Amino acid sequence: MTTETVVRPRPATEDGAPPEQRPGTGLPALGFLAPFLILYLAFIIGPTIYGLVMSFFDTSLVKPGLSGFAGFGNYAEALQSSDFWSSLWHTVWFTVLTTPPLIVLAFVFALLADRASRGRWFFRLAFFAPFILPSAVVALIWIFIYTPGLGLIETALLKIGITSPNWLGDPNWAMPSLAMTTIWWTLGFNFVLYLAGLQEIPRDLYEASAMDGASPWQQIRKITIPMLGRTTTLVAVLQVIASLKVFDQMYIMTSGGPNFATRSILEYVYDEGFTNFRVGYAAAVSMLFFVVVLLVSAVWFTIVRRQEKGV
Amino acid sequence: MTDLAQRAETRVKLFNRICFGVLIAFALLWLVPLAWALDTALKPNAETTRTTWAIADPTLDAFSRVLRDTDIITWFGSSLFISTLTAVGTVLVASLAAYALSRMRFRYRNVVFWLVLAGIMIPGQVLIVPWFREFDALGLLNTWWAVSLPQIPTAIAVFIFKQFFDGLPRELEEVARMDGAGYLRIYRKIIMPLARPAVAAVAIFTFVTSWNDLLWPLLVLSNPDIMTVPVGLATVQGAFGIRYADTMASAILGAIPLVAVFLLFQRHIVEGIAGSGLKG
Amino acid sequence: MTLTRRALLSGTAAAAALGLTGCSGVTPGRDTSGSLDYWNLFGGGDGVRMTQMLDAFRTANPRVTLSAVTLAWGNPYYTKLALATLGDKPPDVAISHLTRMKTLVSSDLLEELRPADLARHGISADLFTERAWQAGLVDGKAYAIPLDTHPFVMFYNTDICEKAGLLDSSGALTPLDTPEKFTEAMRKAKEASGAYGGVVTINNDTSTPWRIFQSLYSQLGGEVLADQGRRVVLDEARASQVLTFLQSLTKSGLFPAATDYQGSIATFANGQAGFYFQGEWEISTFQTAKMPFSMTLFPNVFGGDKYAVQADSHTLVIPRRPDQSQAGLDRSLLLVRSMLDQSKTWAEGGHVPAWLPFRDSAEYQAMTPQSNYSAAADAAVYDPEGWYSGSGSNFEIVMGSAVATVLGGQQSPADAIAQMRGQLQNLSTTASPI
Repeated sequence: MTTETVVRPRPATEDGAPPEQRPGTGLPALGFLAPFLILYLAFIIGPTIYGLVMSFFDTSLVKPGLSGFAGFGNYAEALQSSDFWSSLWHTVWFTVLTTPPLIVLAFVFALLADRASRGRWFFRLAFFAPFILPSAVVALIWIFIYTPGLGLIETALLKIGITSPNWLGDPNWAMPSLAMTTIWWTLGFNFVLYLAGLQEIPRDLYEASAMDGASPWQQIRKITIPMLGRTTTLVAVLQVIASLKVFDQMYIMTSGGPNFATRSILEYVYDEGFTNFRVGYAAAVSMLFFVVVLLVSAVWFTIVRRQEKGV
Repeated sequence: MTDLAQRAETRVKLFNRICFGVLIAFALLWLVPLAWALDTALKPNAETTRTTWAIADPTLDAFSRVLRDTDIITWFGSSLFISTLTAVGTVLVASLAAYALSRMRFRYRNVVFWLVLAGIMIPGQVLIVPWFREFDALGLLNTWWAVSLPQIPTAIAVFIFKQFFDGLPRELEEVARMDGAGYLRIYRKIIMPLARPAVAAVAIFTFVTSWNDLLWPLLVLSNPDIMTVPVGLATVQGAFGIRYADTMASAILGAIPLVAVFLLFQRHIVEGIAGSGLKG
Repeated sequence: MTLTRRALLSGTAAAAALGLTGCSGVTPGRDTSGSLDYWNLFGGGDGVRMTQMLDAFRTANPRVTLSAVTLAWGNPYYTKLALATLGDKPPDVAISHLTRMKTLVSSDLLEELRPADLARHGISADLFTERAWQAGLVDGKAYAIPLDTHPFVMFYNTDICEKAGLLDSSGALTPLDTPEKFTEAMRKAKEASGAYGGVVTINNDTSTPWRIFQSLYSQLGGEVLADQGRRVVLDEARASQVLTFLQSLTKSGLFPAATDYQGSIATFANGQAGFYFQGEWEISTFQTAKMPFSMTLFPNVFGGDKYAVQADSHTLVIPRRPDQSQAGLDRSLLLVRSMLDQSKTWAEGGHVPAWLPFRDSAEYQAMTPQSNYSAAADAAVYDPEGWYSGSGSNFEIVMGSAVATVLGGQQSPADAIAQMRGQLQNLSTTASPI
């Protein structure tokens, strides 16, 4: 990004325009920026501030106004609430279950597809098509696949002599089941990112190492993986952030159950704000969630900085 | 020396062949859920309780029942309107803003730039509570506007356009300016036509993201007659009970528009992802 | 499933249509044409019956365009209903549990049903089960029309009970009205079934453990909340007595100590238990299974001469809308009245009708096993008042999960009571959002 280039000494012209620009561009600039800025202030910046303010009040969904001032009461309640922590934990657990397979499988599939001389369109179709489906469609299909008694997986496993657990009905299996569905659904995105990354690696690197008698496995370890470092960082961070925001799968497939075993943090916000009408408290939980997302992003920036310096 | 190279080559060939086999197997595995949904949708409801791929009596009844008994056609209309409005709106306001940030010098330019940068950090999901109150106050709950408007100011879209505009050569604009063309004319006649790849990427992505969005539309669209496809499928599922063929038919019908978009714009979508790493 | 549906259709459609004729003349001279949106949350057998009732309404009122939507049960339903009403686009008529309806009223989301409006449709307080009508009043005003009462009941396997010598000469079950008699009956039934005496859902379901606890606890006269949920009045001695009794049943092996909703149904349907405790709506399941069973009141184990049992009611409500018109209200009440007139169809699903013209009829008295437990409606104990209480609410989750740990043997009654008290304290001190 070119942010550094704009930091320059201010010239003496009245409107602050750099010397090479014609003066008087201030007004047209405002015209060009206005549509975006108005919507942006109305629907992003404004609500963020409003949400922050609301989080300090006992605001109710069904009462006008902010209601009584709560100070840090909502935050204190959230941090002491076992429901808050368990939904945060479920979100983290979901992230842990989905992120490594989504990175490793996407990498392996992309690597294999990159070596394939034919049929790349087919692989792209097979792996990427699920990604563009609405979550509701994915959920309906997988609820059916997991149905006890006649589900596809249960029947297939039974044929090779394995008795299935109650996939979505058992509190211990519900989250892994949702994770499996999610891996199927979103793997295509990472697959395409890796495929693009692989195509940027110069071919002569491989040819040179083959001349030196390197096996394909050594090539992968010594060339491919290091060259894809930045792609992996990108994939990992996008994945973690997307996983933290998980809501759809739980809402449709398990309603956060059984016994709240799959209630994610966003579903907790939904429940508290819109089922229990406690929007002030829900706003406080949203802010805490926002902090978590910011921390993850900050870690990413640090890693990217280091990688850029290293290269 | 040649012997060594030859042996290495055979080894590589064998390795590639194994890779290909493994990949084919996984790709087929990945298609199973979709194939299974289609297979089930083609069965009569009574046949769906037997877990087998064979269909004794294939029929399209499930599809016609879903089309007749649910509001799915209405949902398509809602989704199409909302997604189109959002995609067009996003492309328009983001490209205008990006053009100003890329080509114009003005006071507080840095402030605006950092303000927009900050927006990338704010996930829409944390804003659902204030949004709901805001649209309640505006009297716009239960309308298409409530779904579309908050999705239009997308900071990341501004960045994609700005990055693209920064990379465009300026000579053409200089010539146009000599001829007395204003900013708006240059934006319309020169910049936007050149920026077609960026427009395609942002438009398709916004469209798909908006089409698939669930959480926010679920909150604001309470009435079945203005629901989007995902909200309708997620909310009114109870009506099908255990009629699996109908449920699968509704899932497939819900998937068709986006699969069509994907097949039409496959190249744009894939390049868009690879280029920007944009994700909802 | 298709079989039952067909059987039901042919069996009841005619009766339902007949029931309607009484109502078609209720609003003479009034133009009822227009559209009517109706939301409900019924799946399974209830859903099939509701569809029949709506079809009968359509046949009788061809000028009303009725569009009915079935939404997912539980919290999502009430969330949707509240949000739609806040957004000024609510359905004209909706189903609500009686225990959830009060929260909607205090949130100012429901239309008051004035006696004059109701009277035009021949609806008045004296035509309903008193308990259900009274429990639905807020500040003496009506906001909901009860359709039924659905109490917690006892299912019993008639073959096993006969074998165990628990039926008298007329085939009626001997009374189980003390803890000793109850336990003894379970012991005999266990011998007869060869597996368990009785079964109640414990795992992955907080409502059922709450229902059995609440039934026994209120027989002892216990209360959990007071002051609209702002005060916890859980009585340790009584709660402990109930929990100890419940734990003795699973500890001694008379009840399975681990079973979920489907599992408990299977245990009873397969004849591995003589008794099954659940809401009456499971009647369809066992009728479909064609097993020898009957149903009766949940036994009065602790009550002595006063009977009590946990229950809730399905009610019909009219959400508040800014553009409510007299004609719209009348159209909505037309549907309400039609539902009441079809109480027979509804009662076939096990529910005790709240509409006295049907409940007092010879036709209902002749319905078995439904009429066996109709007295439960008069002794119904609804969930305590409080913004966090009601069917499927946080309150039931707190109470039910603690009771489940006692039934499952993971916690002592004393520890479970401490857990209940702690979590209820949190809820009761949280500022009410309404």
